[in-house]
Amino acid sequence: MNENSFADLAHKDAERHILAAVDESDNSKRAIMFLADFFGQDKDVVITILSIIPEPSEDFFATEAALEKWRLDKKAEMDEVLAGYSEILRSAGFVNSQIMTRLIIRKCTSIAEAILEEHARLHYRMIVVGRRGISHKEEFVFGSTSNRILHHATKCAVMVVE
Amino acid sequence: MSNPLTLSKEEAKALIARHVGIDRVPNKFSIITDTTDFFKVEYDDVMILGDETYWIKRCEKEGRFGLDEEPKFWVRRAIDLADGSIKIIKLVFYEKFETRIADVVIKCFRSPKKEARILNLVADHPRFMHGHSVNDSAGNNVRILEFIPGPRLDQIVENVVDSHEDYFYNHFPALLDRYIELVEAIKYLHDQGEKHGDIRRDHVLFDRERKIYRWIDFDYNFMHGESMWSFDLIGLGNIIIFLTGRGDVLVGDLYYTQRALYDTLWGEDLSISYKNRVANVKKIYPYIPDSLNRILLHFSQGARIFYENTAQMLDDLASARADLSP
Repeated sequence: MNENSFADLAHKDAERHILAAVDESDNSKRAIMFLADFFGQDKDVVITILSIIPEPSEDFFATEAALEKWRLDKKAEMDEVLAGYSEILRSAGFVNSQIMTRLIIRKCTSIAEAILEEHARLHYRMIVVGRRGISHKEEFVFGSTSNRILHHATKCAVMVVE
Repeated sequence: MSNPLTLSKEEAKALIARHVGIDRVPNKFSIITDTTDFFKVEYDDVMILGDETYWIKRCEKEGRFGLDEEPKFWVRRAIDLADGSIKIIKLVFYEKFETRIADVVIKCFRSPKKEARILNLVADHPRFMHGHSVNDSAGNNVRILEFIPGPRLDQIVENVVDSHEDYFYNHFPALLDRYIELVEAIKYLHDQGEKHGDIRRDHVLFDRERKIYRWIDFDYNFMHGESMWSFDLIGLGNIIIFLTGRGDVLVGDLYYTQRALYDTLWGEDLSISYKNRVANVKKIYPYIPDSLNRILLHFSQGARIFYENTAQMLDDLASARADLSP
C-alpha cells in the first residue's frame, strides 16, 4: 500500500481503530506492549502502527545519492522495528487482519503535525503515543511530540503511555 | 574586456585603477578563481567568480560578550570591480560543532547551500540581508552579500544612556515596533519552510541608508527535534528579554548593586537559556506591563508552556504593544 492509497482502510472508520504512532525507542515499544496487554483479546480492535521519519534538510547530504542511501537505510531499520511491534501484538492475541503498519519518510516541520495529518485523513478513534520522559529544558529546545498531540488532537481520544 | 575567467593581471590592474586611481593599484596580488583554500586568499587579491570580479580586502570579524573579535577568514570584505560597491564575500567553510542551550546539546553545522537558498527566498524582502551565490571554478558555493552600513541592534540598545524608565517609555515602544517587524520576517521564512538558524541580537543590523533593521547570517543549520522552529523562537525570546531590559539584566550585577532586588529572585525568574540572566524583568522594573512580561516568561526557567511558532508570539506581541504608549 502506498502512503496516498487508503481505500482498503476506509471500511475501518466505523470500527475501533487505533493509531499507534511510534519510533524505534523503548517508550514506543512500551506503548505497543500496553496496547497488546489491554486490547489483545478484543477482536474488533484494529491497530495501525504508524512511523513517521522526518527527512532531514537537503543541507545534510552532499549528494542526492547520499540522501537516497539514508532513506533506504532508515526504511530497512524501521521495517524491522515495525515487524517486531507487530509480533508483540500477535503474541498477545491479535490476528494479522487487526494489524497494519505504515512507514512514511517525509519532510515535516513537526512530527506531531504529521501524525495529526494522518489522523485527519483516516479518522482514528484513538491516538496512542509513548512519552520519552524528556526534561523541561529538552522540551524547551526540541519540543515534545506527545505534548503537541495532546494539545492539538481533535475528534479522538489520546493516550500517552509512560 | 576579455572573459573574466582569463583576466590578465594588467586587465585587473586597469579595473582597480578605474575605481581607486592608478596610485592605489597594488603591484603584488594574485588572481583567484578557486577559493577552496580560503587561507590562501590575501588582502588585495582579485577574485573571479563567474562573470564577476572582486578586489579582496580585510577579513570580517565577530565577537561578543567582551571577547576579542575573532577574524573570520572565510568572510572577506571586497570591492565589486563592476561598480565599486562594497560586498561581503562568504567562502565555503564546512564546520560542524555542538552548542548548548539550556544545558542541552545541539548539533550544528554551516551550510552554504542553505544560505544561498534563503538569499533567493528573501531577495525582495527588506528585513533580510540581500545577495546572491556563485560557484567558483572548483564548484564552491560562494555567497556575495550586499554590505549593510550601520550598527548592530545590541550596540544601539546598549548605547542608550537614559535611565531604564526613560528608555522604556521613550525608546522602547519604537524598538518594539521594529522587533515585531523582525519577528514577522522570521514568520515569512518559517512559512516558506526555512529556519534562520542563528538568531542573535548581533545578527540584526540597522541599515542606515534604508532606515530599517535587517537580519543577517543564514548559514547555520542544526538537527531539530519535534519542533523545527524552537531554536529560532529561543533566539527571538532572548532578544525581546534583552530589549526589554535595555541589555542583559545579570544576576551577578544585582547581587552586588541591588541586593534587595536580588533577594526577591527565584530560579524560575531566570532565563532558561542563560541562567545568569533575569527573564522576569518586571521584578526589576515594575512599570513593565504584564502583557509584555508574560512574553518574557515564556523563556524563563519557570515556563510550563512554550511558543510553538511565530504566529503565537506575534499575537502576544500585538497585545503587549497595545498596552504601551504610541
